Amino acid sequence: MMAMSPIDPRLQEALDGERDPGTLPMDLREAYARLVGAANLLQTLPAVSVAARVMAEIHDLKPEVPSVRPARRLMRWLARPRAVTLRLRPAWTLALVAGLAAILLIPTQPTNRPSPGAQEGIAQFVGHFPGARSVEVVGSFNDWSRGSLHLRDEHHDGIWHGAAVLPAGPHEYMFIVDGERWVPDPLAGRYVDDGFGAGRENSLLIVRPAQASLDEDATLR
Amino acid sequence: MVNDGPPAPTDVEVVARVLGGDGEAFGILIRRYEPGLLRFATRMLGNPDAGADAVAESLVRAYRHLAQCRDPARLRSWLYRITGNRCRSHLARRRTNDISLSEAPPLADASDSWAVLERGEQVALVERALNALPAEKREAFVLKHVEGMSYEEMAAVTGARIPTLKMRVHRAREALLAALEELV
Repeated sequence: MMAMSPIDPRLQEALDGERDPGTLPMDLREAYARLVGAANLLQTLPAVSVAARVMAEIHDLKPEVPSVRPARRLMRWLARPRAVTLRLRPAWTLALVAGLAAILLIPTQPTNRPSPGAQEGIAQFVGHFPGARSVEVVGSFNDWSRGSLHLRDEHHDGIWHGAAVLPAGPHEYMFIVDGERWVPDPLAGRYVDDGFGAGRENSLLIVRPAQASLDEDATLR
Repeated sequence: MVNDGPPAPTDVEVVARVLGGDGEAFGILIRRYEPGLLRFATRMLGNPDAGADAVAESLVRAYRHLAQCRDPARLRSWLYRITGNRCRSHLARRRTNDISLSEAPPLADASDSWAVLERGEQVALVERALNALPAEKREAFVLKHVEGMSYEEMAAVTGARIPTLKMRVHRAREALLAALEELV
């Protein structure tokens, strides 16, 4: 077992680039040189390559990007079926929920717009982003592709909302604010690890079949 | 007179090409980041073959999920994050973080002074000292002093807070210095 003792803070500062190593006492300068030398030795690059192996493996793969399906989803989203389930929010959104409910209860003329299939439901996305210029939703349901599901701030009050017809089941998603800032839904209630380490999480939405929602007047999550 | 040629495409441009269907463009990213990723993974796992496996798996995963890269301008951090995560998975599958005796590089005669050791022997000694560190400290030291990252980028790679990373680097330096003094 190696003996380990704290090293002089001046040495730590020099190694962090916060102190000129030339100002260190001789014994610390030797320790500095030893650690820097060790790091330099570890910078030797391995004499292997995985490039050919990786390119062969991905040859038949495609990045998980959308092709035709998002356009179809967008058309269905624009059609906006009326069978809606609301995601309940904390207290500050009660007024918003009430407003949305009022909108949803407004009678509309029968149309030929498509409605959710037996295994589909409607997801309502709502976020409070005052000052935002744009808000969109990306998620597993649109292959994390941008540009297919934009939210609207119709009353210019920072409340952005939109809806989409989605297959019943769980969907991971994130908001993109102003085209660059990825934000989990702070009110999602459920989150899952994004699978890339670093402890980041995607919001989780569970869509129930629209018919079941109508029958039960249930919530989405 | 040297012709510099056209500037290399940025990561953002290459990512856009790949997502646009030009899968071969991913090779540009591999050539750009493979050396550092291999070095990082090899240092983390203590074995070049295991490091190569981890990097290959990470690059395939990165390709498949490229659309989920939230900031292609920081692609390097994203790739290191995936690779670091992969290395942790490999380490978790091992019973111990220590490399086996068969994998360990041969030790030089400890009676030799550091100055007279061949470079290969010096590398072997430093690798052994590094492999004796716990994985978190090893990762912090390698990202800081081998890959030359700032603490901010290390935070993006590891998900740890900067004060935590500083503490890990400081402890890694202490342990490494002690180990080197013991080995040589």
